[in-house]
Amino acid sequence: MAIRRRTGFLDPVRERVEVLERRVLGDDAGPVARRTFNRGLSAVIVGFLGMLILAPLYGFSVAAILAWLVFVVLYVPPWEVIPRVGRFVRPLLALSLAATYPFYALNMFTIPIFGAFPDVATGVKMLVFAMMAIGLNIVVGYAGLLDLGYVAFYAIGSYTVAWFASIQFAHQNIHFWPAGVPSSLPGIHISIWLLLALAGILTAIVGVIIGLPTLRLRGDYLAIVTLGFGEIMPQVARNGDDFFGTGFNLTNGPNGITPIDSPGFGSFTFLAGHGSFFTPDRLFFWTAILLVLFTVFCSLRLRDSRLGRAWIAIREDETAAAAMGVPLMRTKTWAYAAGAFFGGIAGGYYASFKSATFPGDFFFNISVLILCMVILGGMGNIWGVMVGALFLEYLDSEGLANTGAWLNSNLGLNIDVPKYEFGIFGLILVVVMLFRPQGLIPSARRKAEFEVGVHDEPLYNATHG
Amino acid sequence: MADLLRAELLRKEFGGLVAVDDVDFTIPTGTIVSLIGPNGAGKTTFFNMLTGVYKPTSGKIILHGEQVGGKPPHAITQRGVGRTFQNIRLFQTMTALENVLVGMHTQLKGGIVQSILKTPKIRREEREARVHARELLRFSGLGDVDEEEYARNLSYGDQRRLEVARALAIEPKLLLLDEPTAGMNPQETLEFTAFVAKLRADRELTILLIEHDMRVVMGISDRVTVFDYGEKIAEGTPAEIQKNERVIEAYLGSGATAA
Amino acid sequence: MVTEARRPPLPLLRNRPSFTTVGGLTLVALLIVWLIVNLVKTPSDFAEIFLIGLTTGCIYALVALGYTLVYGILQLINFAHGDVFMLGAMMSATVAASVFGLTSGQSGVVVWLAVFGTLIIAMAFCGTLNATIEFVAYRPLRNAPRLAPLITAIGVSFILQNVGLAWKGPNYIEVVDVLPKSQVFDIGGVTYTWNKLIVVLITVPVLILLVWLVERTRQGKAMRATAQDMDASAMMGINVNRTISFTFLIAGALAGAAGLLYALYVTNVRYDQGFQLGLIAFTAAVLGGVGNLPGAVLGAICIGLIQAFNEGLTWHAPGSDWTQSIVFAILILILVFRPEGLLGERTPEGG
Repeated sequence: MAIRRRTGFLDPVRERVEVLERRVLGDDAGPVARRTFNRGLSAVIVGFLGMLILAPLYGFSVAAILAWLVFVVLYVPPWEVIPRVGRFVRPLLALSLAATYPFYALNMFTIPIFGAFPDVATGVKMLVFAMMAIGLNIVVGYAGLLDLGYVAFYAIGSYTVAWFASIQFAHQNIHFWPAGVPSSLPGIHISIWLLLALAGILTAIVGVIIGLPTLRLRGDYLAIVTLGFGEIMPQVARNGDDFFGTGFNLTNGPNGITPIDSPGFGSFTFLAGHGSFFTPDRLFFWTAILLVLFTVFCSLRLRDSRLGRAWIAIREDETAAAAMGVPLMRTKTWAYAAGAFFGGIAGGYYASFKSATFPGDFFFNISVLILCMVILGGMGNIWGVMVGALFLEYLDSEGLANTGAWLNSNLGLNIDVPKYEFGIFGLILVVVMLFRPQGLIPSARRKAEFEVGVHDEPLYNATHG
Repeated sequence: MADLLRAELLRKEFGGLVAVDDVDFTIPTGTIVSLIGPNGAGKTTFFNMLTGVYKPTSGKIILHGEQVGGKPPHAITQRGVGRTFQNIRLFQTMTALENVLVGMHTQLKGGIVQSILKTPKIRREEREARVHARELLRFSGLGDVDEEEYARNLSYGDQRRLEVARALAIEPKLLLLDEPTAGMNPQETLEFTAFVAKLRADRELTILLIEHDMRVVMGISDRVTVFDYGEKIAEGTPAEIQKNERVIEAYLGSGATAA
Repeated sequence: MVTEARRPPLPLLRNRPSFTTVGGLTLVALLIVWLIVNLVKTPSDFAEIFLIGLTTGCIYALVALGYTLVYGILQLINFAHGDVFMLGAMMSATVAASVFGLTSGQSGVVVWLAVFGTLIIAMAFCGTLNATIEFVAYRPLRNAPRLAPLITAIGVSFILQNVGLAWKGPNYIEVVDVLPKSQVFDIGGVTYTWNKLIVVLITVPVLILLVWLVERTRQGKAMRATAQDMDASAMMGINVNRTISFTFLIAGALAGAAGLLYALYVTNVRYDQGFQLGLIAFTAAVLGGVGNLPGAVLGAICIGLIQAFNEGLTWHAPGSDWTQSIVFAILILILVFRPEGLLGERTPEGG
């Protein structure tokens, strides 16, 4: 199959840039110099355009100029050429920016159309969804298995934490290092930190149980079966307050389980915080950053391991992978379990943050939202997936409402934009798949794959073990 | 000499169609055996049963005295059977080195937790695997190729060679080559034939070859088996096969119309 | 040198009754026992529920056929199909009330003409919509990795739901109630009403028409050839793109017919009902064997009956809270243990 080179409307611009680049750098500049030049140029253009748009609307903003400078420092210099430490510069800079976000969130400038920067509580949600998206990326991006029921893992994580850190099972009275729970309170109360681990492990086990019978199916059948599990889950949660008339209340039905204990240490809880510095939102935010870091770390290590190679091999060509001695079922199940693990932890943490879990949180929509994050960002690339997740969850909780308000007041419309949220996400899925299937920030590998296509003939007759 | 692999009354039906009809077949240890026959004679189906891609309808496949018929492909691979594919099936967007590393999957031990922790054992294992993979690339004539190049960017001949390197990475005792010289020019074919002979000499491999190019078959095979319509119609040394009436008839009869 | 084949072959790898077969048969046996107990306890209820199930089964069949046709030709689960059905129902509701000016309780010949007119319009609308979706969202991805069109299908499904939402709002819309509910017969307390019979009376000719189209016409032959082998068909001079468009057109038209029947029979519609019903219909298609037309109808009727029995029977029935879960459980069990469905054959080996 030939590689189709699409000619775009940007081609003349690209040519001009190349001419300019030769004039500045000479004909035999190395790739690093050329990349730096290109990035510098785009940074200047972005800054200029940004000013052009922002200044007349909101006046000069120091925050905007600072933000631009930070962007330049992060993006332009060829940090990676510094031996050994160079490749850590960008991630560390980005991390410190993220960690200090609560201190400058309120001082940021207003973005046209989108409005203000998200507040810290929204930041927690964004990070939780980033964690789920990175987890799903292991399944979809690495192993190439379309999972449309990822929300099931989120639900299991949430309910695990809810059961063991609330008064749901009030006839029990088990306390195990909970934070700030009086020992007279009925119900099971276990430390959230332990529960997060438990949620991850339990969810991974459920992932294996779901995966074993289903992962032998072809890709599209797997998609529909996972969708089925994802649909069954909220129904079980909704009807689980009285299982078939037995009177056993597992999930408290449509009312959900609330309140759920907050994380903390001893008598110190996140919910109460400590002074004006350790506010609850900040504590949850920083912990969420740690959890995302943990997820990213594991995900990167897995990608570069024997297992990661096997996943990619399966995605590319199942038959050839099996002929190389890769046990298909077992390897796929591991991908499923690993993805489920992070989904479970994220779900559990989110439940503790919201101090509640409801059946309505786990509809098919959410599975698609998380899938959309993975696809928009770029399947297989952790950084892309993270950006996709942060952006879409921001849209989900603040951005769309802001945008809608802006549209209505400036164009004289009267549209309830957030109502059409999932139509918009559907549109994103279609547009990305049609015009940029590798996503906004693709992994080099995936990009190559969408250009040539892959052997994707499933192994029909073999019984994979 | 003992038989490395023995197929007994091996049969495969698709619906009502008999693709391989109760074939008895042996590969003695240390030999190069070729499987020839007109298109659609059931060679590739037979091959796919030996490698576990298809489950035989009936019959036995005995490898080292163990019945492996119907076992999944990875289980057969783990017992020392390496293969290449008729239409090259590399992992296109993995690098040359990574392709070989996937071939080492069964030899490496790293599990999910060790991989995340990257224990010293895993570090050492990965390092050694890379050294070994580079050796295999060199051995297969890919010493000059950039190991970080995506497989799909390699030349056709190099892709064929990489497939062999990848198959060698599983440390097979039996190597199955499915039309390895298809699409090669005479020069490349000649080189490849020499390479196959070297494989047997240097690595003490037993080789089963499906091949259309008679010069290759007659040049290096110890034994030739001929399939037609899913049946084994002849078996013998290259010289015997060249004189066999039924073989000539099969090739001129159905081969002329099928070509 | 020539070896003769010896017979008989050793039946070493013949299947023995496996755990799955035994488990499946046990499940089916329990189901039958449950049905018989219910039949004995409340025979007349049982018969009426059976008739209800048959009616919903007919509607499911029309939708399921759309899934099966498209899957047969493109191996694509067209997630948007259920939403096309939903828009068809909304279109029918609108046309029946605004264009033909029907009002609830109206009767007479004019109703029949109006219903027929609405049927034609709904079928044309949904057929065109479905073919357009294929052209815009699936065709450019025909050579992309398999997951790509599947993902756009989900995207399109959400878009269509929001079209319905924007058009008719978030609540149930009422549909004119024109199908007569008088009795066709009343045997020993078992009543059968006209509105149920009409659903069957419209479904059956549409099905016959479809079978005739696929089995007897040139276009149908092209469809079957393309489903078998797209490349070979193209080489034989079949216009593959047009055949695929035609398939989507037919599938959409069936969804339109189902939409009309649903709207008139259930008399209310909401924007998110298509997706749920679509999944149920897809389950039906899988149950019958994906790609198999009679299978889809059989599967749909089975699912319709299962749903009706679950929701209607009184002795140890899980009830409507669990319908969705039961249907999905069936889907999962079928896919895992008998992916070729009730009537299907194992796919011939590829690869």
